[in-house]
Amino acid sequence: MNGLARASVRFRPASFVGSFIALLLGAAIITACGALLQTGITAHVEPVRYADSPVVVSGDPYARISYQGSEGTESKQSALPERSRVESALTARIAARPGVAAAVPDLSFPVQAEKKSGALPVLTGRNFSAAALTAPGSSAPAEGHAPRAGEVVLEEAAARAAHLAPGDRVSLAAPGGSGNYVISGLAAAQADGPSVWFADGVAERLSGHPGTVDAIAVKPRDGITTSALAGQVRQAVDGRAEVATGDARGAVEEPALAEGRTVLIGLGGSFGGIAAMTAIFVVIGTIALAIGQRAREFAMLRAVGATPGQIRRTIATEAVILAPAAAALGVLPGLALARWWFGELVDRGAVPGQVSLDIGVLPMLAAVGTSVLAALTAGWVAARRPAKLRPSQALGEAAVEPARPGVTRIVMGLAALAGGGALAGLAARLNGSDAANTALGVVMCFLLAVALLGPLLARLCTSVLGLPLRASAAGAAGSLAADNTRAQARRLASAITPIVMVTAFCGTLIFIQSTIRHASAQNVKVAAVADHVLGSTGPGLPAATAERAARVPGVESATGVLRTGAVYRSGNELSSTTVLGISGDPAKLPKVLDLGVNSGSLSALGSSRDTVALDTSLAESLGVKTGDRVPLWLGDGTKVRPTVVATYERGLGVGQVLMPRAAVARHVSAALDGQVLVSAAPGADPKTVARQLAALSPQATVTDAAGYGVQADRNQELSSWANTVMAAVLGGFAAIAAANTLVMTVLDRRREVGLLRLSGTTHRQVRGMMRWEALLVAASGLLLGSAIAWTTLVPIARGLTGAAPYIPTGTALQLAAGAVLLALAATGLPTRALLRTRPIEAGTARQ
Amino acid sequence: MAWRRDRMDTERDGGGPPAIELRAVTRAHGRGASAVRALSGVDLALARGSFTAVMGPSGSGKSTFLQCAAGLDRPTSGQVLLGGEEITQLSENRLTKLRRSRIGFVFQSFNLLPSLTVLQNVLLPQRLAGERQDRRRAQQLLAEVGLAEHGSRRPGQLSGGQQQRVAIARALITQPEVVFADEPTGALDTRSAGEVLGLLRRAVDAMGATVVMVTHDPVAASHADQVLFLAEGALVGNLWRPDPQSVADRMMALTAAAGGFAGVAA
Repeated sequence: MNGLARASVRFRPASFVGSFIALLLGAAIITACGALLQTGITAHVEPVRYADSPVVVSGDPYARISYQGSEGTESKQSALPERSRVESALTARIAARPGVAAAVPDLSFPVQAEKKSGALPVLTGRNFSAAALTAPGSSAPAEGHAPRAGEVVLEEAAARAAHLAPGDRVSLAAPGGSGNYVISGLAAAQADGPSVWFADGVAERLSGHPGTVDAIAVKPRDGITTSALAGQVRQAVDGRAEVATGDARGAVEEPALAEGRTVLIGLGGSFGGIAAMTAIFVVIGTIALAIGQRAREFAMLRAVGATPGQIRRTIATEAVILAPAAAALGVLPGLALARWWFGELVDRGAVPGQVSLDIGVLPMLAAVGTSVLAALTAGWVAARRPAKLRPSQALGEAAVEPARPGVTRIVMGLAALAGGGALAGLAARLNGSDAANTALGVVMCFLLAVALLGPLLARLCTSVLGLPLRASAAGAAGSLAADNTRAQARRLASAITPIVMVTAFCGTLIFIQSTIRHASAQNVKVAAVADHVLGSTGPGLPAATAERAARVPGVESATGVLRTGAVYRSGNELSSTTVLGISGDPAKLPKVLDLGVNSGSLSALGSSRDTVALDTSLAESLGVKTGDRVPLWLGDGTKVRPTVVATYERGLGVGQVLMPRAAVARHVSAALDGQVLVSAAPGADPKTVARQLAALSPQATVTDAAGYGVQADRNQELSSWANTVMAAVLGGFAAIAAANTLVMTVLDRRREVGLLRLSGTTHRQVRGMMRWEALLVAASGLLLGSAIAWTTLVPIARGLTGAAPYIPTGTALQLAAGAVLLALAATGLPTRALLRTRPIEAGTARQ
Repeated sequence: MAWRRDRMDTERDGGGPPAIELRAVTRAHGRGASAVRALSGVDLALARGSFTAVMGPSGSGKSTFLQCAAGLDRPTSGQVLLGGEEITQLSENRLTKLRRSRIGFVFQSFNLLPSLTVLQNVLLPQRLAGERQDRRRAQQLLAEVGLAEHGSRRPGQLSGGQQQRVAIARALITQPEVVFADEPTGALDTRSAGEVLGLLRRAVDAMGATVVMVTHDPVAASHADQVLFLAEGALVGNLWRPDPQSVADRMMALTAAAGGFAGVAA
C-alpha cells in the first residue's frame, strides 16, 4: 500500500462522513436484527416448576413437515397455537420403569368463581398430585387434607382475601364443567399465580381434555442419573411424546416460548435479511457517490502514473480503514434498538418474559463483517469507472458527466424490474403474515431496478416535472433548478433513490397493514349481525353459558364461539390461521354471523365432527373445494382431515376456519368460549334480554354486535404492530440515508454555487433554486416510490382481501409531507452553510 | 541563472531519436457517420531539449494533440514514439508506468492531491512507482521553484501560482524525457504566469528537459523556442523564436479562417 488512502482519510475526514454514517447505521440495523435472531435461536427458559424433576415428558410444540427439496430431504416446522399434550396413560407406563421414583402428571386450566364466590380471582386449576412438584416431599396441604371428589384445596392467600376457610363451599367453573366444591384444605402460594387443586380424576375431567395431561414430570430413584432416567423414559413413551431434560424443561413449562422463538427468528432472520440487504444497498450507494465526487482526484492520479490497480487498491483501503470503525460504533445504537424492540415484544406478550435478550459476539461480528464487505464491494464497484477510464477521458469526465448508463447496467436494471414483477405475482398467493416479508423482497427488487436505471428514470421524471418550472411560474430560480436537475441526472439519481426507498418501504408495510385492517374491520362490521354479544372479563365463558343463554326468554339462538388456531400446509410452507369453534345449531349461525357463504352450506357443519367450513381465499390457496377433505393440524398438533362443507367470503378478521366446537374443544388449552352470539326472538325487549344475559355469570359482559370486533385478533394486532416497527426501522434508516445523500450532493456543489453568486445570483435565488431542486427530487422520489409500493400492494391486497389496497388519505399525506420536508431540510441546511462562505473562495475552491 | 543553450540549436541532437515523434496521427471521437475528427494526420518530431508551444483556435485539436502525444489518449491511427520507442501499442498498465517514469505533467488546475503535503506531492510519481523516494532531490527541486520553505505545507495553503510551481517540481522529479503542460498559466495572474513560464524555460535550459506546452496566450507562447499552429486537427504552420506580436497576428488570421468554416470545425 502506498499510504494514499490513509492520508486521504486522515486529511479530509469530512468527505468520508457520509459513507461513515451509512456504514454506522447499516451496522446498527444488522446488529439489532442479529441480536433478535440469536435470541430466537438460543432462547430458553429456566425451569422453575420442573426444577426438581430432571425429566419432563410433553407433546411436541411444533407442527412439522418434511419434503424432498433441492438439497435432499428438507423439513419445516411451525409453532402450534395451543399446548401440545401427552396421553395420561403414559404416566403409568413411565412409573413402571425401574429408575423412576415417581411420574407426576401435571395439568393446568383456568378456573373462575361463579356467583357467590365472585371475590376469588381467576385461578389456575391443577391436579392435587402435581402439588408435590413445587413442594417436594409433602403430599399433604399446609392445612386440612388432600381433596377428594367434590373437594378442593385452595391457595392460602387467595382464600384469605375472599374470606374463605376450610369447610366453606365454593362454586367454580372450569372448561370441562362447573360445580360446587367444599374447601378441604389450604396450600402455600405458587410462583405463577393463585391456584386451586382438585382430585386428580376430577382435574382431568375439568381440564376439558380428559385422557391427556400437559406434561408428566419424572423423578428418579436415588442414584439414577438424568441421562439414564431420560433413556428409560424414552423407551416407555416410545416416540409418542417428547422427553425433555435441562433447560428444555423450561420450554415445556412455557409453551409460548416456541411461538416467541418463531417471532424472534422471523424478525431477526427474514426481516433482518431484508434490512441487511437494504443496509448494504445504502452503503454501496453512498460510497459510490462519495467516490464519484472525487473523480477529478482520481483522474489526476491516473495522469501522473497511478495504475488502475493502484486506484482500486486506494479506494479499497479507504473502505477497510473506514468500515470497521464505523461498524464498531454502529453496534451500540444497534444493541439499543434490539433492547427496545425485544422489550416491546415481551410487553406485548409475543415473547415470554422469562426470556432475556442474548447479546452475543456473533451479531456484532456479522455487522462488522457485512459492513467491511459492503464497503469493499462499494469501493470495487465505484472504482471501476475511474480505474478503467483512460486518463484523458477521466479528466474530461470529471467535469461533464457521461451521457447515459452502460448497456450492462440497463440490462441488469430491466432484469431486476422483471424479477420484482414476477415476485409480486408470487406474493399474491400468500397469506397475511408471509405477504409482508415477500412484499419486502419485491420492494428490494424494484429498488435495485431504480438504482440501476436511476439516471434514466431521474431524467424522465425531471423532464416531466420540470416543465412547469421552466414555464416561468417559478422564476429564474425555478428554471435554473429544472436545467440543473436535467443535466445532472446521475447526481439526481443518487438523491432520488433513498427517497424512493423511504416511500416504497413505508408505503408497502404501512398500507399492507391498513388494507388488512380495513378489510377485517369491514368483514366484522358486515358479518356480525348478532343482537347481543356476550363476552367475558375473565379468560372466557364455559361451554354451558351458550346453552344457558339459549334458554333465556326472548333469545332465539345462542352460538358460542371458541377461538383457537390451526396450522395448514400450502406447498412446502406451514402457516397458521384462526379457527372458530362454533356451538349450537349451525343452521342458525347466519342469524348471528353472516359470513357470506360462497359454496356449500353451513348447516352441514356439525352434521359430524369431521366437518369444516373455510374462507374462500384460504380454500383457494389450499386448493380444496366443497366436498374435499382438507388436512389440518389442530391447535394442539392433532392431525385431522375434515370434509369441507362450505366456503365463505368474510373470513379475514372474523375467522378463516369454522369447525364444530366439539371437534376443537379437546384440542385447545382452555376450552372456553370467547363470546356467545345471541339473536333475539322477534318482539323481545332488548334491554330485558341483555339484563338476563348479564346475570348468567359474574364475568359476563353484554354488548351489541359492535362488541364482536372489540375482541380483535391478537395475532393481527401483533403483526400490525410488527409491520409498523419494521416500517419505522427501514423507513427511518432510509430517511437518514436520504438526508445523508442530499447533504453530500449539496455540499459537493460549492464551486457551482460560488460561480452562480459571482455571476450575480442572489442568496435568495440560490436558496430558491435549491428548494425547487429539492422539491423535484422529493416529487420524483415519491412518484417512483409510490409506483413501487402500488405495484407491490395490488397483487398482495387482491390475494388477501380480493380488493384493491386500502390507503388512508391522512397517512398517505403524512408520508408524502414527511418525504418533502426531509428533502427540503436536507437540502436547505447545507445550502445555508455553502452561502456563508465568500463566493470568491467557493468559486475557486478545489473540490 | 545557469547557462543557456542556443535557442536555434533545436536540432542539436540530430544523431539520436527525437524526444517525441508523431507519425500520421489521427484521432476521431465517436464512431461511424457521427464521428468527429479531432486530429487529421499530424506528422511531427520534437528534438530533445526543446521548448515547443502549441496554439490554435478553440476546437483546433490542441488538447487532443497533447493527450495523444503524452500517452493520455490513444490515436485512432498513426504512431507516437517517445525517445524512439513506439508507445501507441502499449497496454494501459505499461502506458501508465511509462507516464510515471518518462513523462511529466502540468495541468491548468487540480494538479495536486489536497491530502498530501507539498513535498509528498512532488514525490508522488516515485511513490506510485514504488521506488525509493528521493527526498533530497525533491527538496532541491522545491528550492529551484522557490518553495524550499513550503515542503511541509498542504496545497490548500498555497496560492495558485505556487501550486503550479509545485506541479512543475513534481513533473521534473523523475527526470522525464518530455514535460507536457496543458494551459499551465490559464488560471494565473500575469506575475505568477511569468514565474511559471520562467521555470519551464529554465527546466529546458538548465536541466535539458523537453517541454511541450498547449496555450492560447501569445505571451506564454513567446517563451518557447518554436510555436506550432493547429487548425482543424492539422498542423498549419510554425514560428521560430516567436515574439508575442507575431504570434498574436498568426492567431488572428487562423481564428478568422476558422470562423469562415464555423460549424464544420468541431
